[in-house]
Amino acid sequence: MTLITILLVAIVIFTSRYLFLEGKLPLRLGTNARDFLSFSGPAVLTAICMPIVLVKDEQLNIAISNPYLGAAIVSIIAAWKTGNIYWTVGLGLLVFIAYGSL
Amino acid sequence: MLPLSLAVLPWGILFGSLAVQRGFSALEAQAFSAIAFGGTVQIVAVELIADNASLSTILFSALVITSRHFLYGLRLRERLKNQPLRWRLSLGFLLTDELFALSGHRHAYKNRLRLYYALGAGGSFYIAWNVWTFIGIVAGTSLPDLTHLGLDFAIAATFIALIVPTIKTWSVLVTVIVAGIASVTFSLWQLETGLIMAGLLAMTAGFAVNGWERRQ
Repeated sequence: MTLITILLVAIVIFTSRYLFLEGKLPLRLGTNARDFLSFSGPAVLTAICMPIVLVKDEQLNIAISNPYLGAAIVSIIAAWKTGNIYWTVGLGLLVFIAYGSL
Repeated sequence: MLPLSLAVLPWGILFGSLAVQRGFSALEAQAFSAIAFGGTVQIVAVELIADNASLSTILFSALVITSRHFLYGLRLRERLKNQPLRWRLSLGFLLTDELFALSGHRHAYKNRLRLYYALGAGGSFYIAWNVWTFIGIVAGTSLPDLTHLGLDFAIAATFIALIVPTIKTWSVLVTVIVAGIASVTFSLWQLETGLIMAGLLAMTAGFAVNGWERRQ
């Protein structure tokens, strides 16, 4: 039974990923639709990221003592100045760990 | 790709150990990662199945959480819809947040080399996710909850690394700010559809500012 449920969930996930890649789907995207969709990357990725940083146990935590916030600020500065994923993640994690040992 | 594979480590291990703790067999837990490759959906589904939720509740929750992938598919439609079926099926199956995050490049998916690059990146995330799941299953109940150790900051940091360099226009900046405020607000409201709602709201804001920029 669990395996059947797993299979059905897998079908839902796959459908959501594959559906619009199918050329036979009668759908033409105009310029406006494509412009709109060009914002999907920054929009959805930010929406995944920010609650991790600012929400803890269903509470807003914008104090500088929040390790996620302090480390995220350092990561944002590193990303802006270096544009390099290793510096961004490395410096952020370093600050995050430093918070833990304070 | 490596930071992204490592960033999902706590979630993969969390999923594996959670599934075992909630009474899944090792085979069921590993099969879930192998055939669904679904991240958050898997973790939520495990909780719902363990709580004996109805099948319709489970599938509806899965649909809500996975709905952002419709946007990814739409975004990549023009580039992938005319590719052969095997490319569409394999890249469609592998189209996670992480692979989409690497798809912003102007030439992404536009030639054979780019397609193989995407397949390699997506495939490496798939292997990583399954290895982390396996470790979680083996560790089972002996592991503490890794998200409480704060390792989930890694995923936030990698996404910051991918988002910040794309902020080159006012429209993208507004998109990011609206997405941040809306997602945090909806998360505090514990709105199940919060992620996709915040995404659509931010896209609308970015699109509006983009129109205004063009008229300037």
